[in-house]
Amino acid sequence: MSSSKTNVNSSGLCVKDLQVEYNNGQPALGKVNFILPEHGIYTVIGPSGSGKSTLLRAVAGLLPDYAGQLLFNGKAVQDKETLIGLVPQNYGLLPWKTVRANIRTALRIARPAISDKQEVESRIQRWLTSMGISELAGRYPLSLSGGQQQRVAIARAFAIMPTILLLDEPFSALDAITREALQVLFLEHWLAHPVTALFVTHDVEEAILLGQQIIILPASKEETPDIVDNRAVFGMKHEDKRSSEDFFEQTKRIRKVMREKW
Amino acid sequence: MNKRLLQQVVRLVLVFAGINVIWYLAFLLMNHPILPSPLTVYRAMFELGAGNIALNVGYSLMRIFAGVAVALVLGLLVGLLMGRSPLWNRLLDPVVYLTYPVPKIALLPVVMLFFGLGETSKILMIMLILLFQVIISVRDGVKAIPASTYDVLTSIGANAAQKFWNVTLPGALSVILSTIRISLGTAISVLFFTEIYGTEHGMGFFIMDAWLRLDYPEMYAGIMLFSLVGFVLFLLVDLLDYKFMKWRNQ
Repeated sequence: MSSSKTNVNSSGLCVKDLQVEYNNGQPALGKVNFILPEHGIYTVIGPSGSGKSTLLRAVAGLLPDYAGQLLFNGKAVQDKETLIGLVPQNYGLLPWKTVRANIRTALRIARPAISDKQEVESRIQRWLTSMGISELAGRYPLSLSGGQQQRVAIARAFAIMPTILLLDEPFSALDAITREALQVLFLEHWLAHPVTALFVTHDVEEAILLGQQIIILPASKEETPDIVDNRAVFGMKHEDKRSSEDFFEQTKRIRKVMREKW
Repeated sequence: MNKRLLQQVVRLVLVFAGINVIWYLAFLLMNHPILPSPLTVYRAMFELGAGNIALNVGYSLMRIFAGVAVALVLGLLVGLLMGRSPLWNRLLDPVVYLTYPVPKIALLPVVMLFFGLGETSKILMIMLILLFQVIISVRDGVKAIPASTYDVLTSIGANAAQKFWNVTLPGALSVILSTIRISLGTAISVLFFTEIYGTEHGMGFFIMDAWLRLDYPEMYAGIMLFSLVGFVLFLLVDLLDYKFMKWRNQ
């Protein structure tokens, strides 16, 4: 994909010529270009050290320095109006706050306009219920399992109704069964509230199950990332995906890229 | 939880009773006015009257609270600055390193020369004892908070104050509490010294005054009360720890 095709004025998240270097001048992320349409979801897959997390951190505004442009609907993503919801791999919950207080803190900071306390509490309750963790509201994160903590983190990310949702290998620390349950749960919620989302993973299956397009970052920072269209699989019913021919084809395709570029 | 609390209380009462028994035996063995019997001491304590006790205990507590409060505010500010900014840490680290080993009690005459014999120098001494410990523990506590803890709040646009109240302060609180617990003992000892001079209230004055009047039962009563003050302060720190550190022991 050449940079000339990336039109900065298009709607959605526009990543143009994004390049990040470590403090020592080594490249952390090679040149990346893509447009993630509003209300779309893309998965990002790549080997360790390919810059997956760096890409996400750049969009999240956690990197002070990067080259290139990051725009959402034509405005810089760092703009006040662009609210970022982040779901990190370590769940990112504050251990000294209860589940409810964690979500409340995020809501207060992200949505100061909601001043009505009852509105805040009912919204927290709604998301806890829909994530199936309402009975954990008063617990502290350290007393929860990884799967439960990640449900809280996802509930928090959805509750603030972000403009862009960023997920950094959210399920990679979980066991296979919990992971699959959460993939379904996440996808259901995303379909009900399709927020513009970028989902980083190192799991090929997960990338195919959850992304409309799959961005494959190469191991070498000189090569450009491949972007694989995955709408065929994404459009299926979730339970049919794994057994479908398309899913199998897609897996082969991605594995081929992995063999060549990783 | 309640059962454990009860056991703890029973254990404390037993230890207290044991000390009194040993004391009583020592009194019988010595049979000398410099060690009165516990009963005599408790009687003397009752004769002091609630108003008198409250006045002396109140003064001592007030000085400790003021000293701790000032040390906490200053220590938090400096410790945070050093924990969050490498530049300030480089500048202030040698200062802290150099002044930390100075025995603060030795500064008592200096402080009294500069600030007189009044309340200021008493509170200042307690503050000095605690300050450097608080600075160092806040700095290390803040540094120990993983940078990723701030990520989610940073990405949703939290400002510096919001990050401080939601991450930095609660993250460093456990270290701050254990520092206070450790330095409280020293602070109380120093309080005793400062209360020897320039005051007519406070437990230190009370004990020294009874000693000089050779009123040993009252002197021991004062020591018991002073110990009680220390015990209450420790309980208070424990209570704070229980309230704010719930997340660790659930």
